[in-house]
Amino acid sequence: MAESTWRNYKESKFSKPLPLKGIRVLEVCTLLLGPSGPGFLSRLGAEVIKCEMPPLGDTLRSLVPFGYFFKEQSTSLIRPNPNKYWIGLDLHKPEGQQVFRELAAKADIIEENLRPGVMERWNVGYRQIKEINPSIIYISKTGFGQWGQYAEENRPSNDGAAQGMSGYAWMSSFPGRPPLKSRLYICDSYGALMGEVAVLAALHYRDRTGKGQYIELSQSEAIMRAMSWVWPYQHITGKRAMPAGNRDVSLCPADTFRCADDTFLALAAPDPDEFRGLCIAMGRPELADDPRFKDHLTRLQEENATEILRIIAEWVRTKTAEEVEELAEKHGFTASRLYTIKDVVENEHFRERGFITEVDDPLLGPFLDYEFPVMMSKTPPRVRWSIRPVGFDNEYVMTHILGKSEDEIRQLYECGALGKWADVRGRRPPPDWDGKAGLIMTRD
Amino acid sequence: MEEQAWADWIRERDDPKIARTKPEALDDITVLDLSYKSFAGCYCSSMLAEFGAEVLRVEPPEGDFLRTCTPYGILYKGEGLNYLSEGRNKFHITLNLEKPEARGILKGLAAQADVLIETFRPGVMDEWGLGYEELSKINPRLIFASITALGQFGPMSHSRMADYDNIIQARSANQYDTGEMLPEGKTYDECPWAVPTKAGPWIGWVVSGTFMAVGILAALHWREMTGEGQALDIASAESYASLEDWASVWYQGAGVINERFGNLNTGGWLYCFAPTKDGAVFLGGLRLEMWQAFADMLGKWDEWGAANWTDLAAFSEKEEQLKWAELVFAETRKYTNEELVSMAVEYGQKGRLAPITPVVAPVCSPDETMRDANWLDRGIFTPVEDPVYGEVTVAQAQYKMTETPARTKWVCRPVGYDNEHIYLKYMGFGPRKLKKLKEAGII
Repeated sequence: MAESTWRNYKESKFSKPLPLKGIRVLEVCTLLLGPSGPGFLSRLGAEVIKCEMPPLGDTLRSLVPFGYFFKEQSTSLIRPNPNKYWIGLDLHKPEGQQVFRELAAKADIIEENLRPGVMERWNVGYRQIKEINPSIIYISKTGFGQWGQYAEENRPSNDGAAQGMSGYAWMSSFPGRPPLKSRLYICDSYGALMGEVAVLAALHYRDRTGKGQYIELSQSEAIMRAMSWVWPYQHITGKRAMPAGNRDVSLCPADTFRCADDTFLALAAPDPDEFRGLCIAMGRPELADDPRFKDHLTRLQEENATEILRIIAEWVRTKTAEEVEELAEKHGFTASRLYTIKDVVENEHFRERGFITEVDDPLLGPFLDYEFPVMMSKTPPRVRWSIRPVGFDNEYVMTHILGKSEDEIRQLYECGALGKWADVRGRRPPPDWDGKAGLIMTRD
Repeated sequence: MEEQAWADWIRERDDPKIARTKPEALDDITVLDLSYKSFAGCYCSSMLAEFGAEVLRVEPPEGDFLRTCTPYGILYKGEGLNYLSEGRNKFHITLNLEKPEARGILKGLAAQADVLIETFRPGVMDEWGLGYEELSKINPRLIFASITALGQFGPMSHSRMADYDNIIQARSANQYDTGEMLPEGKTYDECPWAVPTKAGPWIGWVVSGTFMAVGILAALHWREMTGEGQALDIASAESYASLEDWASVWYQGAGVINERFGNLNTGGWLYCFAPTKDGAVFLGGLRLEMWQAFADMLGKWDEWGAANWTDLAAFSEKEEQLKWAELVFAETRKYTNEELVSMAVEYGQKGRLAPITPVVAPVCSPDETMRDANWLDRGIFTPVEDPVYGEVTVAQAQYKMTETPARTKWVCRPVGYDNEHIYLKYMGFGPRKLKKLKEAGII
């Protein structure tokens, strides 16, 4: 299986180029929908400059599970924000706006997720930026897009609002139970990922023509796009799509079952060989030829599906997850226990592939992060460093990218256009920081 | 002259109604989509086809098994509903790769393609002599994208198991900690719904396919710079796992394994679904002021002592969340969804903390969503007029763009529908040759 292509992939990552080398991204983003997009690009090698409002910065800096901070940092901030340069820039101030425009003139992509019209009020909207940089690719990500009733009402949005309004949560519950919110911020993360498909398509177009453009993305619409059969089903049958719990109504059998030890197991065996294999594993080979189960479309019908799932549930109830996994491998169907977060982080396979990757961060110390999940044989994406306090890289960006003098930088601090972190958890450096580690350009 | 309002200016330029008048970002790209039993692969090529890539969807002569993967076994004009949605903008051809002669034809197509997407079990393409190492000799510019359950390398990559959505969700850890909590003193037999719960229709597959679309486009950009193609590898379980954003750090730092927390949010307060008179709403107030505004909106400013709250983190502890959820839900049950949504919009205009206001959004069934005037106006549910299937509503591409908007030109094609056109265009096979290939079971 392409042995030589993938040999030593993990070990040789850092001796290969990055696919988006030379692409510069400016982000004015908070929470997850915004920052996750540039976070994908930064893993692919783009240079991302994250602008935060000093001294508190990204709201995400406050969000932690049951009050737990990791080395005084927000656990949530880590995943969407690797490999970025962090500046504290007040865009309410004309001097801050001027700095932003200077950066925009040298940027390829701008990403923002403020309410519609806010960037324009700050003189850094698309209409203003394209005057100084016509080839800019500029994406705005919000709950409801830039126009239409909800945008006009200036409604705020969150991932959970999109899960609710799209019907996604409705489709994720058990029948007769209230709609269930995914524990993932799926409409944030997925909306952000979708946004990058458009950004990179626009980059391809710019590679061909030199032309930039503006993109708007609504996180509710993004998740609707992902809901496959739901819309044609409602259109064609005139009926409301209904939730089915863990059962996959488009594949049969495919469901989650309870094992002998009260742990859970997902199982799928929809294709003819898989289904036959499962029947043999269950010691019921005759079921594969039962007229109710003989082919996939027949099995999928409500009463047949209910019956075969009942039979499988009874069988799994007598087995451990390990036993069923082994039988699945042997007889050619698919099954997996439900991994916990521990199972994922410690998974040997994910580690060998380099998906679970150790980052040796100057501020956070060594920890395990997730790599961008597309392995690229010639240009491996990678996490190099992690999150930083508000305004941590001000000096580097002002000096290295904008060529400002010490005096100019001092003036920007004095008028408040530039700023650094507040002395609170989630904003300041970890408690064991030595005052130097991670700084690119220190000034004594 | 006064400048036009932003919303009007941008709508004039990115309303999907005018999309067809604009150029397409990827119309110079040819994609071979060999997806087999994989919605991830089909969804991935849809992402590219919506931007104008010429996608040649290669199926075995009997059609891809995925066409039969349809809710409750329902077919529409002979087509499964999932496939009906993701056949969009693609040319459908057949090729029986079990036959050596077919593999020769595939090589001819690969020599002319920019991207190849495949989802066979690792090793199958190599056995056929169609692996990356072989095809890159013919076409060094080729981007060869593989999507499988566990990837092309690593200790578990030899597994025979196929890639299915519910297995992706199980292996990602994101099913384990989603779902209702078991009420105290109850058992699973009494509450069979209070178990780890899978989300959404095929979100695991969708995420995997979308990640690959991003990978392909990044590889395309690099190819523009260097002229070189490469191989890309996704393990679907990793894709969906990678969207998790705090539990792995929590586990590393504190040794805690995240568990289900129902419609509340372990990662912070205020962030939950709350029951109402006629359903449920989402409540969001991830900044202290928004949580205060919410209390104020309910008339609880004084009673709950909102003026004295100083730190939102204090509310996110488990016991605090459970305590406050009870108080909040007792209030939200007094109102309808519509009343609560209006209260929040109004509070943002006139409330004590305006313009700060909490996020209040109705939790809808998908038929309410599909009738919502806002989404209809934005074109997300504009039906497609398909030459074969007639008028069909699928979710339209959701991006709005000023230069190269995505669009859905047709929804699907029957098996082998484009054989004549595509084989003539790429391979020079006329009717006589096609007939022979068909008789030989190759096409």
